[in-house]
Amino acid sequence: MLLSLNNINKSFGAIKVLNNVNIISERKECIGIIGPNGAGKSTLFKVISGNLKQDTGDIFFNNTNITNFNTEKRARLGISQSFQKNSLFPEMTVKESLALALTHKYNVSFNIFNSLVNNKNINTDAINIAKDIGLSDYLETKSDNLAYGLQRQLELGIAIACNPTLLLLDEPTAGMSPLETKEIIKLIKKLSINYSIILVEHDMEVIYELAKRIYVLDRGSLIFEGDQKSVKNSELVQQKYLGI
Amino acid sequence: MILIQFLNALQFSMTLFLLAVGLTIIFGLMKIVNLAHGSLYMIGAYIGLSIFNYTESFWLALIFSPIFTALIGAFLYTFLFRHIQNADPMKQVLLTFGLIYIGLDSVRLLWGTMSHSISTPSILSNPVLLIDEPYPAYRLFVITVGLLVLFSLYVILEKTKIGAKVRASVDDPETAQLLQINTDKILFYTFALGCGLAGLAGITVAPILGVEPGMDMEVLVLTLIVVVVGGPGSLKGALIGSLLIGFVDSFGKVYIPQLAQIIIYAVMALTLLFKPDGLYKR
Amino acid sequence: MRAVNYNPKLRLQLLLILLSISIIANIFGSYFTRFFIAEITILSIFAISLDFIASRGGMVSLGHAMFLGIGAYSTAILSINYGISPLSSTLSTFIIGAIIGLIIGYFIVFLDGIFFIMVTLALGEMFNAWVFTSDFLGGSDGISGIIRPDFSQIGIDMNNPLTFSFYVILWLLGIYFLLTKITDAPLGRNLDAIRQNSHRISAIGGYTKAYKAIAFSLSAGIASIAGSLYVQLNGFISPELTHWTVSGEGLIMIIVGGIGSISGAILGATVVHIIQHELSNIINWWMLVIGFGFIFIVLFMQDGLWGLLERIQKKLK
Repeated sequence: MLLSLNNINKSFGAIKVLNNVNIISERKECIGIIGPNGAGKSTLFKVISGNLKQDTGDIFFNNTNITNFNTEKRARLGISQSFQKNSLFPEMTVKESLALALTHKYNVSFNIFNSLVNNKNINTDAINIAKDIGLSDYLETKSDNLAYGLQRQLELGIAIACNPTLLLLDEPTAGMSPLETKEIIKLIKKLSINYSIILVEHDMEVIYELAKRIYVLDRGSLIFEGDQKSVKNSELVQQKYLGI
Repeated sequence: MILIQFLNALQFSMTLFLLAVGLTIIFGLMKIVNLAHGSLYMIGAYIGLSIFNYTESFWLALIFSPIFTALIGAFLYTFLFRHIQNADPMKQVLLTFGLIYIGLDSVRLLWGTMSHSISTPSILSNPVLLIDEPYPAYRLFVITVGLLVLFSLYVILEKTKIGAKVRASVDDPETAQLLQINTDKILFYTFALGCGLAGLAGITVAPILGVEPGMDMEVLVLTLIVVVVGGPGSLKGALIGSLLIGFVDSFGKVYIPQLAQIIIYAVMALTLLFKPDGLYKR
Repeated sequence: MRAVNYNPKLRLQLLLILLSISIIANIFGSYFTRFFIAEITILSIFAISLDFIASRGGMVSLGHAMFLGIGAYSTAILSINYGISPLSSTLSTFIIGAIIGLIIGYFIVFLDGIFFIMVTLALGEMFNAWVFTSDFLGGSDGISGIIRPDFSQIGIDMNNPLTFSFYVILWLLGIYFLLTKITDAPLGRNLDAIRQNSHRISAIGGYTKAYKAIAFSLSAGIASIAGSLYVQLNGFISPELTHWTVSGEGLIMIIVGGIGSISGAILGATVVHIIQHELSNIINWWMLVIGFGFIFIVLFMQDGLWGLLERIQKKLK
């Protein structure tokens, strides 16, 4: 078992946003979390990534209790995330951004002597990652100047550059055209070979293509868990999400 | 004796409040920290000085100086701040920093570098007897002005529609924007009001502290500390922060003068350590 | 907050140009020119210290004059009260400044940019007030009788303005070299990234607070060196050195130069100091001019003079 969330509860004032949520993720699994707007998906995502603290409940990662760990600490343990809204380094090129993220994989971030652009290992690795995420042609382009779809790809690239054990993806296809969505799905499929993934999505088709196991969230509670087939066939889910 | 010190501290707190409340509301609404707020305080004192010298009436100075400062604020908003509303917040703060230079030299050019004084109005010049101790009536007046402003702000904010809009904009800017409450008009009036209050602080304190270039920075630092400690954007925080800093500073100066300087910074440091968003979050 | 493009090549070119000009002016200039160049060089060191934390970490400090003061007063006390050699004093002030910077940094680096400015302004004022009223530090009279390093054993006379000028230029070069190394290394790149998006650096496991505290500490140490050299240049300190306008001037210098290029800070320091010097001889409302000029640059010339140079370089290609 890689990650487990046990009995997570979270309220904002009088509103209960997460109600006794239990999630388990295994190694090399790609699991999905879906639900309509307001279901609590982003809150749940933030609790997993460490951006929000739950009221009660605990979280274990690789047998370590990370309940009270902040985002930085969780990232160092191997949990990496990509954001729904692009969180890039606008002035840095694709190569620079990836090289920067790699300083954490190689644990050299406190180094003050060796120029980063001259670091052979990191630069080769950066070029490889760029290839994996389909940005080989854009190595010297500033992040700010990339098209939206390509920015989303870089968004993923930075997340995987840290060599994580678990990838948390927050609506990776947000704002994308059907064509761009196809590209991202291809990319994530490739990633799921090497990384464990937890995917939060709005788009059911994306989840069906990628997730082996799916959790369905509705108004803060988990109402269903199963694979693609059982979710599709579930009357309960159909009831709640007519027409998603 | 302690009553006197208490009143001194209260008077100081009220002055800080007049300054802090303007700064904090402007920050809450516009996300700008107007570093030139102290300059407006100084300009208010100087304008009051001129009115006083010209008309020989302190009361006219008291009434018109805040009005003029508010007008300056309105001018600044219309021609500068409104246009940079959506710029990088850092940029905005740096701009207000440039304004400090302009304010300082303008004052020096118009009024010279000497310090001036304004005499207290004759009605308030005689000390009042409080339990056998004489106490300057003028300081009681300053406290009264502060309390009046506090009360008026309370009434406006809690009981009027426009006050509700201001509160909404400060407490929840995103929703306010969606509901389109956060209009240019509200920002305009609030900004002008904040500046006017700074000017009011300047003229009311002038008979006690005098009028000189450089008074802008001394008061700015304390106001910033009040806002940081009280919680930027919080009106309650401005009040509690002013009282806290005002009392700590006043009593500190009396009972532990050697530490008086740093004690306020210690308060700020402790707040930053334990409650980094200030005592009262927005 | 924006900074200029990361362009190590132009950075070096600009440095070499400025260096050549200053060397030539030093050799052929008058007594006053040499003194002025030494002053500009020391101000450049101060500007670089500000530039470093502004562009690497997004921390704009309006209270950095306090570190000038720490460097200045420590040097005075160490050399007068304890007889420590001026050179060792300067090195010591780096350590003293860096330690104090680390302690202060621990409390304030997590603050958002705007609050960071407010708090550093307040801290600077506190230091200024303390220095003005402290009898131990000479109060408003300051301290005089500070001597320059004694290299007479190797035949160099530091009291000669030419030699002292070259001496401070050497310090500038050393600091420039140190900071370019750090800027180009992973730590510097992470700091640059923190300025652009500190949230993401946390999300990939970076030690955001630690990086920023180190940067602030380093910057404080460097500003202290500037303070130390400054009092050795003048032979005395007055507490005006720690006034907020000095911090403000530093800020103006780096914005005029263009934040983030190190060489730009040197250029900015040079230009601003020359303009201020010339202006204050002609008019006594030069603060007004600086205020308007500052606002103009913040609004319309975000990349400062560096930006101008980059555009010229592009056109020449």
